[in-house]
Amino acid sequence: MTSNISTVLRCELKLLRRDPAFWTVMVLLVCAVWLGIASTQRHLGEQAALVAAAQADEAARLDRLKAQLRDVEAGRVVPASPFRDPRSALWVGLTHGAQPVALPPAPLAVVAVGLSDLQPATVAVSARSKDEFLFAEEIRNPVHLLAGPIDLAFVLVYILPLAVLAICYNIVSAERENGTLALAASTGSDMRRVMLAKLAVRTGSPIAAALVAAGIGFAVASMAPSAAWGTLALCITVYGAFWGLLAGWVNGRGGSSAHNAMALAAAWIALVLVGPAALNLLSDTLYPVPTRAEMVLAARGATVEAERDRDATLARYRDESPENLPQEQQVGSAKERLARRVAVVDAATARVGEVIDRHDAQIVRRQTLIDRLSLLSPALLMQLAVTDVAGTGSTRYAAFHSELDGFHQQWRAFFMGRARADKALTEADYGAFPRFAATPALTENASGGTSWRLWGLIAMAAVCGVGAVRSIRHCESAAA
Amino acid sequence: MSAVIDSLAARPPSQGGAVRAIANKEWLELRRHPRGRLLAWLISTLLLVSLLGGVLHHERAHQERDAAQQGDHEMWNSQGAKDPHGAAHFGQWAFKPPSLLGLADPGVDAYSGGAVWMEAHKRNDAQFRSARDSGVAARLGGLSLAFVLQVVLPLVIIVLGFDAVSGERERGTLRQLMAHGLPATTLVAGKALAMLRALAYLLVPLLLAMVVAAAVMAEPAERGDAVLRALTWVTAHGIYLAGFVALTMCLSSAAPSSRAALVLLLGLWLAATFFAPRLATEVSHAAVPLPSAQQFKRQIADGRAKGFGHDETHPGYLAFRDEVLKQYGVQRVEDLPVNMRGLALKRDDEIGYALYDDLFGKLNHQFDEQDRFRAWPGIAFPLLALQPVSMALAGTDRHHHAHFADAAEAHRRVIQTATSEDLIRNQKYGDTSYRANQDLWKSVPAFDYHPPSAAWALRQAALPLALTLLWATFCGGAAALAARRLRVVG
Repeated sequence: MTSNISTVLRCELKLLRRDPAFWTVMVLLVCAVWLGIASTQRHLGEQAALVAAAQADEAARLDRLKAQLRDVEAGRVVPASPFRDPRSALWVGLTHGAQPVALPPAPLAVVAVGLSDLQPATVAVSARSKDEFLFAEEIRNPVHLLAGPIDLAFVLVYILPLAVLAICYNIVSAERENGTLALAASTGSDMRRVMLAKLAVRTGSPIAAALVAAGIGFAVASMAPSAAWGTLALCITVYGAFWGLLAGWVNGRGGSSAHNAMALAAAWIALVLVGPAALNLLSDTLYPVPTRAEMVLAARGATVEAERDRDATLARYRDESPENLPQEQQVGSAKERLARRVAVVDAATARVGEVIDRHDAQIVRRQTLIDRLSLLSPALLMQLAVTDVAGTGSTRYAAFHSELDGFHQQWRAFFMGRARADKALTEADYGAFPRFAATPALTENASGGTSWRLWGLIAMAAVCGVGAVRSIRHCESAAA
Repeated sequence: MSAVIDSLAARPPSQGGAVRAIANKEWLELRRHPRGRLLAWLISTLLLVSLLGGVLHHERAHQERDAAQQGDHEMWNSQGAKDPHGAAHFGQWAFKPPSLLGLADPGVDAYSGGAVWMEAHKRNDAQFRSARDSGVAARLGGLSLAFVLQVVLPLVIIVLGFDAVSGERERGTLRQLMAHGLPATTLVAGKALAMLRALAYLLVPLLLAMVVAAAVMAEPAERGDAVLRALTWVTAHGIYLAGFVALTMCLSSAAPSSRAALVLLLGLWLAATFFAPRLATEVSHAAVPLPSAQQFKRQIADGRAKGFGHDETHPGYLAFRDEVLKQYGVQRVEDLPVNMRGLALKRDDEIGYALYDDLFGKLNHQFDEQDRFRAWPGIAFPLLALQPVSMALAGTDRHHHAHFADAAEAHRRVIQTATSEDLIRNQKYGDTSYRANQDLWKSVPAFDYHPPSAAWALRQAALPLALTLLWATFCGGAAALAARRLRVVG
C-alpha cells in the first residue's frame, strides 16, 4: 500500500509539473510573497529612518540645552522667560527635553505591517498628561491607510487560499469527468488514500512554495532566524491545509468541477471577505471604539478646575494675610505661574489617566470579543496570528503602551519632583534624565497570543479534514 | 430558452420586443433558480444589516460629537477670569461631525482623525484616528453599504452571468436562436436587461431607504443636499454595477467556454478589488513622497522663527515695536494708547497664518497628487475610480476632511483675533494681573461647522467620476462588439 501511495504521489507531481496553470499559480504566489516582504521592508526602512531622525533631533536638542545651561550658569546669558530657561525642570520636562520612544521592531516584523502604519514611529514622552503626546499622528494619506498595505500577511490571508483552491478545486471532480476515477477504482486501489495523497501533494505545493519563498525573502532581508520562523511556518501550513482540506471536502460531495469552483469561491468570499467584515460590524456595534472626546474634555475640565482651585486658594490667602504675600502667591509672578502650571499638569495627568484606563479597558473588551469571534473566521484568525508573529498587532502595542506608562511616571517623578521643589536642573541632572529601555519580553516579542490562534486554526483544519476524509470515502462508490 | 424559440418561430418580433422577451425569460429563470434566490436573499440581508449598522453607528457618533462640541464650548465659557492669551492657549476643540451618508460609506473617517485642537500660535492637524484603536481585525474591512455594492455585488453579477451566453452555446441553444434570425446583439441586450432589472430590484429600495434616511436624519437646512447626495451616490454605484453587467456579458460572449469566462471575470474582479488599490497605493506613495511629521514640524518651526511669539528680544519684534511707536508718534512702549503685547501677538499670528496657508496648502497639494496618481488606473480597475466618488458623495473623503480642518483653522483665527484685540484694548502696559472674564469668552462664537454642498463634492471627484463613466461606457461598447462577433459554436 505504501508503494501504491508513493506511486500516486510521484504521478501527481509529474502531472503538476506538466501543467502550465500550476506553474502560473506558483509563480504568481512566489512573486506575491516577495512583493509583500519587499513592501514591508520598505515600510520598516521608513519607520527606522523616522526613529533615527527623532533620536538625532533629541540629541541635538539636549546638546543645545546643555550649551545654554552652561551660558546661563556662567552668567553670559539671562533667559528671557522660565520657558526659555534650561534650568527649568518644569519646561524641560514638559517640552524641551521630551524623549522619543519607539517600539523596537520584532525579529519577524517584515511579515506584517499590522498597526505600525497607524501608530506613530516614535512617541515623544514628556511630563505632560498622556493625551498630549500619546496620540500624535504621523503624516499619512488616509486613502492609503484605508487601502491597506501589500504585506506578507495580506498575501497569506488572501492569496494563499486562492492558490490552494485554484490547484485543488477539481481534485476529484476532474478525475470523474475525465473518466479516470472509475479506471483507478477498477485497479482495486484504496481510492480514499489515493485521493488524500493527491490532495496532500496539491495542497502541499503552494504551502511549500510560500514557505520557501518566505524563507528566501527573509534571508535576503537579513532577518536572523528565530523561533518566530517556526511559528509562522506552522501558521502558513495549517492555514493552507485548512483550504486544501475544504477543497477536498467539497470535492468529495460529488459535484462537477464548475460547481466545486463556485462553492469554493463562495466559501472564500464568506470566510475571507464577508465574515471578517460582519464580525467587525458586530464588534463596532457592541463595543464601539472610544471617541477620545471624553479624554479631551476630562483634560480640559481638570485644567479649568485646577486653575479655579488655585485662584480660590490665592484669594483665600490674600484675604487671610494680605500683608505677608509670598512671591509664589502673587498673581502673574514667575513663581506663581510655575506653581499654577504644576497644579494644572498634575490635575490633568490624574484625570486623563483615569479616562485612558477606562478606554483601554473598553478596547480590551472589544479585542476579547474579536478574539472569540475570530474562531468563526480562519482568515481573521490567520491575520491576528501573523500580526502577532510580526509583533505589529494589538497585543504587542498594548504591552508597549504599558511599559510607556511606567516610563512616563518615571519621567514625571524626575522632572515634576524638581519643579515642585523649585529645584534648578544642573548639568549632572541632564546626564541623569531617565531613558526608556524596552524589557526583553517586548523586544523579543514574547507576549504574543499566537499559540491559541494556531490551535484555533488547527481545530478548523481538523474539522475540514474530518469532512474531507468522510466525503472522499464515497469516491469509490461514486466511481463505481 | 424554448419559450423564446417558440415565440420567434410563431412571429418574428421587433428588436425591442425580442429584447424584452429575452429579458422576461431570463428574469423568470433568475427568480426560479435556487442560485438566484439564494444570492438575492444574501445580498438583501447584507444590504439591510449594513444599512442598520451604518444608521446605528451614525446616530451614536452624531450624539457623541454633539455632546463633545457642546461640552467643549461650555468649558471655554466657564474657564473663569484669566489672561486672554492664556485662554487662547487653552483654545477650543473642533470635533468633526459625522457625515450623514457616512452610514453608507465610512470612507477615510477612521483614518483621518476626528478632532482638531485650536490653540494659540499653532495650526494642529486632526488627531485621534479611530482605526488605531480598532485593532488589526478592522484592517480586513467593515460591513458597509459601500462594501456590499463595491465588492460583493460585482461578484454576484459575475456568478449569475458568467455563463449567460457561453452557457447557451455549450447547451446548443445559441445555434437554434441564431437559426431563427435572432440578432446576437438582441440576445445579449436581453440578458443584460434581465441582470439590470435584478439590480434595479436591489438598488431602487436601497435608494428609497437612503433618501428616506437622508430626509429624516439630516438637519432641515441640509436635507435637500443630503437627498441629492444619496441620489447621486446610488446612481454612481448603478453605473459601476451596470459596467460589471456589461463586462460579464462581454466575456461570457467572447470567452471560449463558461469556465474560461468565469476564470477571467474572477481574475479581473480580484485584480480590481484587491490588488489594484494596494498596488496603486504603493506606486503613488513612491511617486509622490510626503514629508514626515517631524520634517513638517521643522518646516513650521523654521517659518515660525521669522515671527517672534513671546520673544521680546527677537529682531522681528524690535522692528515691529519701532514701527508701532512711529505710527503712534511716541518714544516709549508705555506711552502707547494701546497694548503692545496684544499688537505683537496679533502681528505674530498674522505671520503664522501666511506660513500655515503655504505649508498646509503644499501638503494638501501632495495629497491631491497622490490621489490623482491613484485615480488614473481607475480606467481599467473601476474600484479605484468609484471609491473616491463614493467617499466624496458620502462626505467621508480626504477633501471633506481638509474642508473641516480649514474650517477649524478659520475658527482658530477668530479666537486668536478676539483674545489679542482684547489685550490691545484693555491691558495696561506692564500690568501682569490683567484678567478677561466670561464676557470675552462668550463673545467668541461656538465652532459651527457646515459641510460643503453636493456640487462641491462632485467637483472634487470629477476625474474619478469621469473615469467611472468611461470604464462603464467602454465595457458597454466591448459587450456590443463581443455580441456582434459572437461565435455560435465554441
